[in-house]
Amino acid sequence: MRKYIVKRVIAAVLTMWVLITAVFFLVRLMPGDPFQNPKMTEEVRANLESYYGFDKPLIVQYGVYMKNLLQGDFGYSMKFTNKTVNTIIGETFPFSADLGIRALVLAISMGLVLGIISARNRGKKLDFFCVVIAVLGTSIPDFIMGAILQYGFGIKWGLLPVAQYNGIKYTILPACALAFYTLASVSRIMRASMLEVSQQDYIKTARSKGVSEMRITVKHQIRNAIMPVMTVMGPTVASVLTGTFVIESIFAIPGMGKYYVESVSNNDYSMVLGMTIFYGVFLIFCNLVVDILYGVADPRVRIGER
Amino acid sequence: MKKRVLAALLAAAMVVGALAGCGTPKTKESKESTGSDSGEKVFRYSTRTEPTTLDPTKSNCIPDNEIQHALTESLVRNTGGEVTPGVAKDWTVSDDGLVYTFNLNPDAKWSDGEQIKAEDYVYSWQRLMDPETAAPYAFIGEYIKNGLAVETGEMEPTELGVVAKDDTTLEVTLEHPTAYFLSMIGAQAQFAPLRKDIVEKYGAEFAADAEKNVYSGPYVLTSAKNQKWIFEPNENYWDKDSIKLDRVELSYVQNQETALAMYESGDLDYSEIPSAAVPNYEGKDNKFRNGNVDYYYFNMDETKDSPITNKNFRLALNYALDRNSYNTLVNNDVYAPSNSLVFSGLQGADGKYGEESKLNSYPLEGDEAKAKEYLDAALAELGKASASDITVTITTSDADSAKKQAEVCQEMWTTKLGINVEINQITYAEVLKRHETGDFEIAWGGWGSDYDDPYSYLELFKSDSSYNYSHYKSDKVDELLKASQTETDAKKRMEMLHEAEQIIIDDGAFLPQAEREVHYLVDDDVKGLNFFYCSINLDWVYADIQ
Repeated sequence: MRKYIVKRVIAAVLTMWVLITAVFFLVRLMPGDPFQNPKMTEEVRANLESYYGFDKPLIVQYGVYMKNLLQGDFGYSMKFTNKTVNTIIGETFPFSADLGIRALVLAISMGLVLGIISARNRGKKLDFFCVVIAVLGTSIPDFIMGAILQYGFGIKWGLLPVAQYNGIKYTILPACALAFYTLASVSRIMRASMLEVSQQDYIKTARSKGVSEMRITVKHQIRNAIMPVMTVMGPTVASVLTGTFVIESIFAIPGMGKYYVESVSNNDYSMVLGMTIFYGVFLIFCNLVVDILYGVADPRVRIGER
Repeated sequence: MKKRVLAALLAAAMVVGALAGCGTPKTKESKESTGSDSGEKVFRYSTRTEPTTLDPTKSNCIPDNEIQHALTESLVRNTGGEVTPGVAKDWTVSDDGLVYTFNLNPDAKWSDGEQIKAEDYVYSWQRLMDPETAAPYAFIGEYIKNGLAVETGEMEPTELGVVAKDDTTLEVTLEHPTAYFLSMIGAQAQFAPLRKDIVEKYGAEFAADAEKNVYSGPYVLTSAKNQKWIFEPNENYWDKDSIKLDRVELSYVQNQETALAMYESGDLDYSEIPSAAVPNYEGKDNKFRNGNVDYYYFNMDETKDSPITNKNFRLALNYALDRNSYNTLVNNDVYAPSNSLVFSGLQGADGKYGEESKLNSYPLEGDEAKAKEYLDAALAELGKASASDITVTITTSDADSAKKQAEVCQEMWTTKLGINVEINQITYAEVLKRHETGDFEIAWGGWGSDYDDPYSYLELFKSDSSYNYSHYKSDKVDELLKASQTETDAKKRMEMLHEAEQIIIDDGAFLPQAEREVHYLVDDDVKGLNFFYCSINLDWVYADIQ
């Protein structure tokens, strides 16, 4: 097991280095520069360029960046001039992660339950109901879902706060809006996987031994059917926890999503890099955790190392 | 084995559950604010553009200026265009309009109780122009003597034309007489005083959050976290009796629909209305013009083989545009159609510039017959047989509004003139780059002034200006603008500026489109808000809740 993890970590470090290097150079190919003010004069631009070291050769800038990065320093944002990228991530990530965890707990638990109910009642009304929810969830874009929830519960009925993030009740609407898509896809994967497992020999064996249906579902079917859901969880957890631009914008949540998206249009080089690295590390970490869990859960995954 | 799987899953579930139960991240300050139930006078509003910095020297957008307007006290205070004493209780100006001597109020104090001294302005302005600081708005200080030379590193910051004669006397020397100097320093954040000891104490961390600064203005910042800024009155402010509010809360709400929903549910006391929603609030809304004008640049660079270099062709484009219909189609009738260059609401010689203007321009509804006359003349000069031989390209940004703008112009020019119009949408950053490189025929443009004077807009067509992206050159306009900088008679000066604008319009040097208008909702009990069209839009410093 240890060898397996070490191998994965080395691969992850290499992947990160390639990612950082590629983004560092690609970001400079974007048209325009970070100093986007129609009133910018040549003199001011020259001072700004030397301030950020842009007047040095690109390869030197790369060396400086990598050196700082190894000390965990992402540098100053070029748009929010007196904040470091580290500070911005430190301030915004807790909000995104908090919202993301709530949404995930909701999405995974509800999604699994719906998927199981759906599979157990295949072809019946209950199945149809679950499938409708799944189709709606995957086809309604999050900005529509967010706006509908906000209008209905926030404005029309006044049950919940319209926006911002100041306490538990503020989290309900955005978490539901954010969870909807993941919930739907989890339920679909779970349903398909449950049905597939139900055809397996060991289920037939159990049934022929006279094990009760409930026990078959709980002890044999679910445990085996959950593997495909785990597979998609890596990227899903990473993307949901690092914030979503649309939901955070609709509910005015001070999360990370906006900074990630807008750093690109702002040509805020240090921010693009910092956010990409943060997201990249997080994604690789989530995938690693999933892989390890996978190895724990399914002995076949570990066969390769023996 | 199966037990281990179960254990792992359970452990994972517990971790997730524990994390989920750990409560929302801290927003302590905002929890306390539940409106003005307690009798406290609280004003809550939002901005859709996020402020970029809390360091006055590095301010570079309207939200930055608005925050500093409450936190800092310049020599004078500009409230909606009216200049009143700030830290300077009075001042004299030399006859040639070059030397300003300010007498500072010895009772003016920083929020930590220290006296605001002349030296604090000297330090701040030198820091602004110092190339090491790399202030994005440093060009605003080029008015001060030797400003440009300091900015480019040719002179030391100490050679800047600002001197502290003693603690309460500040002498400022300008490069040339500047009629709007006081108005400008009263609204632009970069001219705020700074405390050397504080800036040096925090270094790069200066003003990184609310605690790492001291404040000279009517309010102090008590919190700047999680996209929320909280202001409370400055106990040491020299004119604190004029300040009525107990607290102001500014939230960054990017999505305008969300801000409106927050206003509707009582979470905000003031909100702008997104233009699509303006018709829903007829009769309930208020409006102001923010000084921003929308237009297209024409690239008149003679070395380019483009029909745009032909004056008659440019006039044809201008006369063919029905600006009233344009405004309905593009802006939902929320903005005001415009056929001039200078924002009409600026201060003129006596009244508003727009009211004093006798500008003879293209009619707002357009004039198709006249457009065709100019087109025929242009075709003859260009040696083209028919209008369909001409193709021009509009270069604009990828924003939805920019797309609409371009499509409406395309439609009008194609149907009325019969020319071909192509649209090239690129990122905003690239549009700005293209302005500089001159790689465009017709390009999106917009301008808002940093000071209350027509010169700001007219400078876009001064041949040696770095903003002359049109490559426009008129000796007469250059001459008038140059003369306007030394003319001290306000009336004569305004006439020169009106004349220059007329020439630019007669030359069809650009395509004016609209003046932006902001529609907003505000609670009835909020009084005393001021609006301005340079540097600052919303000014709540003297607001009150009644």
